[in-house]
Amino acid sequence: MIAGLRISVASLLAAGVLLAAMPAAAHHSAAAAYDETKRVEAQGTVSKLLIRNPHSWVFLDGTDDKGQKIEWQIEMGGAPSMAWAKDGLPIGMAVKVTGHPSRAPGTYGITGATFAKKDGTPIGPRSARGDTPQQ
Amino acid sequence: MSGTIRRLSPQRCLGLVVSVALLAAVHWHAPIAAQAPRAAIPDLAGVWDGTRRAHPINGPNVPWAKSLPEGAILPDGTPAGKDYVSNFPVLNERALAFQKIFDEPLSPKYDCQPSTPPALEFDPFYMEVVQWPDRVLLRYEKDDQLRTVWLDGREPTSHDYGIQGLSVGRYESNALIVETTHYVFDVTGFDDYNGIPSSQQKKVTERYWRDGEHLKATVTVEDPMFLRKPASYTMRWLAAPKGYKLQSFECDAEAARLSVQFIPPRYK
Repeated sequence: MIAGLRISVASLLAAGVLLAAMPAAAHHSAAAAYDETKRVEAQGTVSKLLIRNPHSWVFLDGTDDKGQKIEWQIEMGGAPSMAWAKDGLPIGMAVKVTGHPSRAPGTYGITGATFAKKDGTPIGPRSARGDTPQQ
Repeated sequence: MSGTIRRLSPQRCLGLVVSVALLAAVHWHAPIAAQAPRAAIPDLAGVWDGTRRAHPINGPNVPWAKSLPEGAILPDGTPAGKDYVSNFPVLNERALAFQKIFDEPLSPKYDCQPSTPPALEFDPFYMEVVQWPDRVLLRYEKDDQLRTVWLDGREPTSHDYGIQGLSVGRYESNALIVETTHYVFDVTGFDDYNGIPSSQQKKVTERYWRDGEHLKATVTVEDPMFLRKPASYTMRWLAAPKGYKLQSFECDAEAARLSVQFIPPRYK
């Protein structure tokens, strides 16, 4: 599986707008861990689900740009919003994910995720797509 | 004085006696007449929806906002006007210093420490109000918290310090007034999105009332250790779907702390 990072010009422009709008001293929990001005695309197979509170997690087995095995850790909403994932993201399913990448170097986290099948068909309810979970 | 009485006619004497009697009667009944009628008890009981259906999700600008564009939805569900007035807390130097050194992984929520007022009320979950004669129970889905608001006139003591403090309340003008003190220090006890702590001097005053089918509350925070003046927001809840029962939260320590690895370290 290939995991790539694509940053569009539009997202960089959006970054400037968002940075200007954000309070300088903000410690938004998601913003501290993820760069909400960027988008990342990943592919992999579902290896584990944690349907929990305060946040649920989806784990994907994938590879980095050098072909090395990595594990994507995708932060989702709390348990009440994730009932769909038990059937919608079965273990072993190949999926594509887009979302905001984690900030710390060498980590493979994503939040605000939207899932799709390999052919691009969206997975999960519309309400669960692209949300940045709050804690 | 006795000479004055001697000059009164029998009719005037009778009038004086009647006047004194009337004055006495008025005086006797005055305390009762001056008392306010027994405070009406508003019906606040039920399960209430505080999710995104009811108000915007909490964040750096919600419910505390320095500025808002016209039309932005406020925590009480109404649109902001053209001349929105900031409700963002005015921080003192101590609070600003804490904010400057704040390190996100310190936030107690990453270890499932429960949320507290003024954040707890606004977290996007359901909550339940139970009204008993001597207390009101506020039960939250978020973090499985239960707050007891005592209506029996008790005063908090030094034994009452705790994460949710001690709440006392009363009914007033068709509303429930809750005053909570005796909180413990919390590094994000005012707001975790902006890294604002709260001290053991935090006092939270909440006013709950019914607005038609909605439940509303104004939450006001005083904390002389960190705030230059009180700060407040007003929020609303919607009636929960019929039959809805609160879900247990059961915060999972692994799931709560997992994202900390994604935060670039600020200190070694």
